[in-house]
Amino acid sequence: MKLFEYQAKELLKEYGIPIPRSELARNLREAIAAFRRLPHPVVLKSQVLAGGRGKAGGILAASNEEQVTEAFAKIVNLEIGGERPSSVLVEASVPHEAEMYLSITLDRGARAFVVISSKAGGVEVESLKGRVVRKISNRGITKAEARSVAKKLHLSGEKRGRFLRILANLERLSREKECELAEINPLAVTKSGGLKALDAKVILDDNALFRHPEFSKLHPEDEFEGEASRQGFAFVRLEGNIAVVGNGAGLVLSTLDLVADAGGNPACFLDLGGGAQRERVEAAVNLVNKLPNADRILVNIFGGITRTTDVAEGIKSVIEQGGMKPIYARISGAEEREAREILTKTPVHLYPSPLEAVEAAVRSQ
Amino acid sequence: MILPRRGEPVIVQGITGRYGSLHTKLMLQYGTKIAAGVTPGKGGESVEGVPVFNTVKEAVSMSHAKSSVLFVPAQFFYDAAEEAIVAGVKLLVAITEHIPIRDTLKMLDLAKKRSATIIGPNTPGVIIPSQGVKLGIMPATSFKPGRVALFSRSGTLMYEVANELSRNGFGQSLALGVGGDPINCTTLNQCVDLAQGLQETKEVVIVGEIGGDAEERLAKHILDNGFSKRVVGYIAGRHAPREKRMGHAGAIIYGNYGTAESKIKALKDAGAEVAMTPMEIPRLLMRRSYRQERT
Repeated sequence: MKLFEYQAKELLKEYGIPIPRSELARNLREAIAAFRRLPHPVVLKSQVLAGGRGKAGGILAASNEEQVTEAFAKIVNLEIGGERPSSVLVEASVPHEAEMYLSITLDRGARAFVVISSKAGGVEVESLKGRVVRKISNRGITKAEARSVAKKLHLSGEKRGRFLRILANLERLSREKECELAEINPLAVTKSGGLKALDAKVILDDNALFRHPEFSKLHPEDEFEGEASRQGFAFVRLEGNIAVVGNGAGLVLSTLDLVADAGGNPACFLDLGGGAQRERVEAAVNLVNKLPNADRILVNIFGGITRTTDVAEGIKSVIEQGGMKPIYARISGAEEREAREILTKTPVHLYPSPLEAVEAAVRSQ
Repeated sequence: MILPRRGEPVIVQGITGRYGSLHTKLMLQYGTKIAAGVTPGKGGESVEGVPVFNTVKEAVSMSHAKSSVLFVPAQFFYDAAEEAIVAGVKLLVAITEHIPIRDTLKMLDLAKKRSATIIGPNTPGVIIPSQGVKLGIMPATSFKPGRVALFSRSGTLMYEVANELSRNGFGQSLALGVGGDPINCTTLNQCVDLAQGLQETKEVVIVGEIGGDAEERLAKHILDNGFSKRVVGYIAGRHAPREKRMGHAGAIIYGNYGTAESKIKALKDAGAEVAMTPMEIPRLLMRRSYRQERT
């Protein structure tokens, strides 16, 4: 789960990492009130999870109330990556001389967490120049490891001391809160040699959330994604018109590819998971049937542990409730003949291969 | 990595749970010798005729098993894996999904220290059709004995591909799921090294997906070290959106990291053929075998 910038910064603050003064505004009145309390000028920052916020125009400076009003209106109406901000962060702007980069992130290839740092931050991690990457042990970064990072960055004096404190604290945050990524970019270097986190990105390990009740209910969830996650489905909302449902993440992923290759547009990704029984199939089909952007449903099942007859019964019972969108299905695997039998008198369009089912779902008017 | 052969004992941790007991039955039906099970607090019971113990130590000393299949819930998984490794288990098949990343890294560290191998987590397991050995949850009917080694990051896709292979006369020497998590304790590189040593294996099929760089690393490994067998790959997620986790914890693209294009290109550059659909995999193999026979 990715946190909003303001949530990530609250964590940094909790771990003693210096951040600029800021206040969260949900409406213009709050933005003006924040402006009056903060040192001027300020920046208004759209709180979205999508990347490329600065380039999209989601960060605007303001030195007076008129400008705050104008910037606030622009930001709340600006959609970034299909996402509208739920709030705006009003932050005191920090004059600075240089921008560094610092993160603790999972390196999947190295199968370890690493610290990545550079003196030339403020850009995407891929385009960082002169970056230092160092593996850290599972028990946390050692003093020697941290010092070697500072040395490679050629830091000295008070700045080095401040950097080491921030690095130690960020690593502790990453480990204790179980983050996949804890990133400060840019880490501003002020004239006096102080360091401040101007922007922060934190991605939590979803699978560790059971150990972190402090993060429950952090997000206003998409209605459908929330419902799906309560039901235990892996679900991703997409923008097309064909709802794609299957058993197994890889199978559904490959079905999305087949749909796109055939010229279609998926409305969602829904993985029933292994061993789904009739009720779960019903719940899943009901959920995607309600998706407003979907006008048809494509079901791709390769039965193994999931019983194809359970899937067929689940689909049949949703159809019997009425109001079902056209449904195209490929159901293969153990007991597939019985499963097809169950669906013969229903309007479900059944196909023996995934390609044929996809083709039919895409082509039909 | 030492995989059990026909008749060698295996234990199941979490044997009394819904999945543990169901799959114990199915593994037994396949011919795998499940000799003992473990569920703390359920010692003395039995599941499908398999005796249940409170600790791995007891189960191992009774059965002399070197392999364990784990169905233990994610919250308790690390402790169960540690218990198995300390008790001398050398192969752990970690079926469980949703294990925290830091727990996986910790158990990987421990396994390295004790020369144990972990397959997974979030894996369907491993199956060796010619040996009647099935350590996992895959549906037996998809798999037939043969000469293709099949390695997959996805469970259901592995079944689908195995089924396509079997239907077209390409049985499998073994099929192993490396798991859908960001960390694979047994990597695709290690799988290919294993296949290199299997005499009866002529072809290797790799089923990859978006996220991470396991396929890119595999391609580099093949280029650096050479690989004498044919490799056919397939990558799911060519049309997946960025920054969205597609079901598997590991199936997520960040920026340009983890895209299908990058993986397909890397595999092709390493001399592998890449299928665009699962159904195309046996077709590529057929073309290859035809060409081979002629030359």
